[in-house]
Amino acid sequence: MTFNKKRASVKQEIPTSSMPDIIFMLLLFFMVATTLREVDVYVQYKLPEAVAIEKIENKRLISYIWVGKDGRIQLNDVIVKLDEIQDIMYKKRVELPNVIVSLRIDKDSDMGVVTDIQQALRKADARRINYSAMLKQ
Amino acid sequence: MVQIKKKKERDAKIPDAGMSDIVFLLLLFFLVSTTIDVDTGIGLSLPEYIPIEEQVFVPLSKDRLAALNINENGDVLLDGEIIAIPQISETLKPRIESKVDLPSTKKLVVSVKTDRKTNYNLYIQALDQIKFAYAEVQSAYAQQAYGKKLLDLTPEEANIVKKEKVPIIISIAEPEKIK
Repeated sequence: MTFNKKRASVKQEIPTSSMPDIIFMLLLFFMVATTLREVDVYVQYKLPEAVAIEKIENKRLISYIWVGKDGRIQLNDVIVKLDEIQDIMYKKRVELPNVIVSLRIDKDSDMGVVTDIQQALRKADARRINYSAMLKQ
Repeated sequence: MVQIKKKKERDAKIPDAGMSDIVFLLLLFFLVSTTIDVDTGIGLSLPEYIPIEEQVFVPLSKDRLAALNINENGDVLLDGEIIAIPQISETLKPRIESKVDLPSTKKLVVSVKTDRKTNYNLYIQALDQIKFAYAEVQSAYAQQAYGKKLLDLTPEEANIVKKEKVPIIISIAEPEKIK
């Protein structure tokens, strides 16, 4: 007696033609979900380190102020002078009432510039700030 | 009659099997190249700006106020006594703890004052110590009152701990005019 191997007569193939579509979807999801850094930073800075730090949940509310090693100040995408901060931040604050200002200040800066920026922010009524810091290992 | 030979139609198809590979590569490129830079740091709310003429001085009792001064040489004074930065949190903790059950008008106020020439890093280290002290007290309170870690609290409980019992009150001293 001979054994016949049972085999389905239908073709065994997984349809792969829509595979790229699925992966395109994934790709789009990632492209939308990741917020790219949209500004170039012109100043050089090194952040201080701290332990009791928290994450900012809502990235869309953040405005950035950088202060570099050489004391130059960059607000979002432009280098600004100290006395321009108040006007720019005031406009920003009107657009976005609960703006958070993230201060990325070089750790070797003097407090003088920090105080000046804080005073400008207070006058512009943008009072939620965040001193950017790295987690101390 | 000459028979016109019909050209044999070739099968025109774009091979799409490798398409998914290409898209995978794209995907990988995006995954690798996007920097999800999480912004971490020490959050603070600045006080409202009030012009000097309109400022009113509210006297704070000595018991409520912890005054932290950092000068340009990096010396740190807590209530007039020299202290090393790593000791700040240990010194503040009992003072915060002693006021947990007091009403919000009697909580500890930590005031930080710096010189214009003070190093920014020192200021952040001091602020970090203060925040750390508060975080410790908050988590200790959460453990004692609810038997949970701070992160496991329900929003209402967290609100009680963070707003009512152990609110973080850090005051950035008004800068003085340079004479």
